[in-house]
Amino acid sequence: MALASLPHLSGMKKNDSRFNPYDDNGGSIVAIGGDNYLLIASDTRLSTGYSIYTRNQSKLFQVSNKSIVGCSGCWCDTLTLTRLINARMQMYLHEHNKEMSTPALAQMISTMLYYKRFFPYYVSVVMGGLEPDGSGWVYSYDPIGNLERSKFHAGGSSGALLQPLLDNQVGLKNIQNIVEESITLEKASRIVQDVFISAAERDIYTGDEIHIMCITADGIKEEKVDLRKD
Amino acid sequence: MSILAYNGGAVVAMKGKNCVAIASDKRFGIQAQTLSVNFEKVFEMSPHLYVGLPGLATDTQTVHQRLKFRQNLYELKEGRRMSPKAFSAMLSNLLYERRFGPYFVEPIVAGLDQNYEPYINAMDLIGCITQPDDFVVSGTCASQLYGMCEVLWEPNLEPDDLFETISQALVNACDRDAVSGWGAVVHIIEKDKVTIKHVKTRMD
Amino acid sequence: MFEVSALHNFGFPANSLDLLGNNEFQTINDDPIGHFHTPITTATSVLGLAFDNGVILAADTLGSYGSLARFKNISRVLKVNKNIILGVGGDYADFQYLKELVNGKMIGEECLEDNVPLKPASLHCWLTRVLYQRRSKVDPLWNNVLIAGVQNKTPYLGFIDKLGTAVKDTVIATGFGAHIAVPLLRNGVQKKPNMNKQEAEELIVKCMEVLYYRDARSFNKYELGIITPDEVQIKGPISIKANWDISQYVSGYE
Repeated sequence: MALASLPHLSGMKKNDSRFNPYDDNGGSIVAIGGDNYLLIASDTRLSTGYSIYTRNQSKLFQVSNKSIVGCSGCWCDTLTLTRLINARMQMYLHEHNKEMSTPALAQMISTMLYYKRFFPYYVSVVMGGLEPDGSGWVYSYDPIGNLERSKFHAGGSSGALLQPLLDNQVGLKNIQNIVEESITLEKASRIVQDVFISAAERDIYTGDEIHIMCITADGIKEEKVDLRKD
Repeated sequence: MSILAYNGGAVVAMKGKNCVAIASDKRFGIQAQTLSVNFEKVFEMSPHLYVGLPGLATDTQTVHQRLKFRQNLYELKEGRRMSPKAFSAMLSNLLYERRFGPYFVEPIVAGLDQNYEPYINAMDLIGCITQPDDFVVSGTCASQLYGMCEVLWEPNLEPDDLFETISQALVNACDRDAVSGWGAVVHIIEKDKVTIKHVKTRMD
Repeated sequence: MFEVSALHNFGFPANSLDLLGNNEFQTINDDPIGHFHTPITTATSVLGLAFDNGVILAADTLGSYGSLARFKNISRVLKVNKNIILGVGGDYADFQYLKELVNGKMIGEECLEDNVPLKPASLHCWLTRVLYQRRSKVDPLWNNVLIAGVQNKTPYLGFIDKLGTAVKDTVIATGFGAHIAVPLLRNGVQKKPNMNKQEAEELIVKCMEVLYYRDARSFNKYELGIITPDEVQIKGPISIKANWDISQYVSGYE
């Protein structure tokens, strides 16, 4: 029996219910790398369409003592990808008896994303970590593994709103007659909070709380800051 | 790609203390190809009234011409200048006449009203007006502009500070949009003068 | 102006991620991935609420066949072990498959004879993988699952949808309940943060009533699953004594 002959499906066009394996669950991530720290933050809202699944879901995943992965987009892909990364980190640890370095992790994530080139993980990944010399760097990816190494990046649903601000305030773009110097942790932290508050004003997929994580030589510190919840 | 993004371009306007600013980029292109770098999208309609028309370039020009035509009729008939409010209503009406075959522009109106109070608004391509009391953005890098303005703007900016704020907002937003930029022009409108400044930007 | 839909395309060209080629294939047989899947007999919302020392689930007993109320006495709240209960909505056939899968898993666990019962977080994680693998084959199990239990003496409430989207929270409702019941539940939790079992049950019952009035695919009979460290209860079917006296006030739509 053809499905379309079932009484309650007879009026349905076949394309109407074509299964879509992706969803956009929103969320934003911002990361800033300094001379001796790495700051990474995400909001804690998880949504689908106009509904909020939960107001308390961070998109940051600590994968080693030196690096944190931020991942937003399709949440089921985020879960899968971050679990796979964690598994690969364990395998590396057991095989080499040392943690994977941040640059090695950066390349691994790119490879893992590209491995699914023709059925991609629908995610925007921002990874940040301390490198062997102690400096903080940010690696950002598109869904199929294109990788960029930079000092700051904004990704996720508010990426377009926040990136030009970071260019201006952190990258000091379009500012004349100043001495270019890297920014302090305190200033980076203040900028991150400001930009998330602004993003929450205009992006319905960003809000509820900011989850901030900071890696320094002393270890990892965490903090939560309130955002608007409407 | 949306026809609104065919030529690229951006406009932003902000309120200040007894002044308003309106700024646009100067690029004219067809999709990725830049054809000219002196295509301004903000037009002076009267000494204290400016309109920005980002969107499809042909409609930018047509809407500007038809607006000027209707404004002239109004001013001849009434023997007085048009207020920003009346002008916006007229523009909104002009756009809604084409409800089902719209002009592909998303206008911004900025100016000082009869009492020299700052006035700004933005509307969509079929004339739905929004009238906030801080800033309005429009064009292909609207989301970037929102991010910039939301952080940089503060109430009661003096003309000089307003110029710096709107310029930084526009230039940094355009730098993250492939089809906007290539120079910018800023109009600072005060009671007794209008200052027009051309801002140098990245040309890539 | 600001377009919400354009916000989050990761800079991809339009439709480049439309791998299923929605417009390219004329008939079902041309579908490159090959599965035409749609739910047939469906069940509506499942509600879940964590209280001071446990969790309560609720789901009605109706299996709908489109708009036809086809099966009026189906059960979809089940006990897994002394730590876990499940509540499932969506396609009923897929639920029955899932139930057998979980039963099989539990038999496997029992065979270990290690006296370590499966915990809710573990089953939540495992079921997420099951549902994700099926969505990755583009042949999903068309269900919403609530996993409730007690782990380390704290209440555990988890959710999974047909994609494998997994969420943990203290208040969760699926389907129509996400729109109608969640605001009522959150409001109740805000007014009384540490509810006891009885208060939680009263709140959930109220939500089931409201859903019966407003969800056209709901029914006046439902089951409750209540789990605490001491006991697992599947209550019901319970009947809703509807009061339609006020229905006259809903007017103006004629």
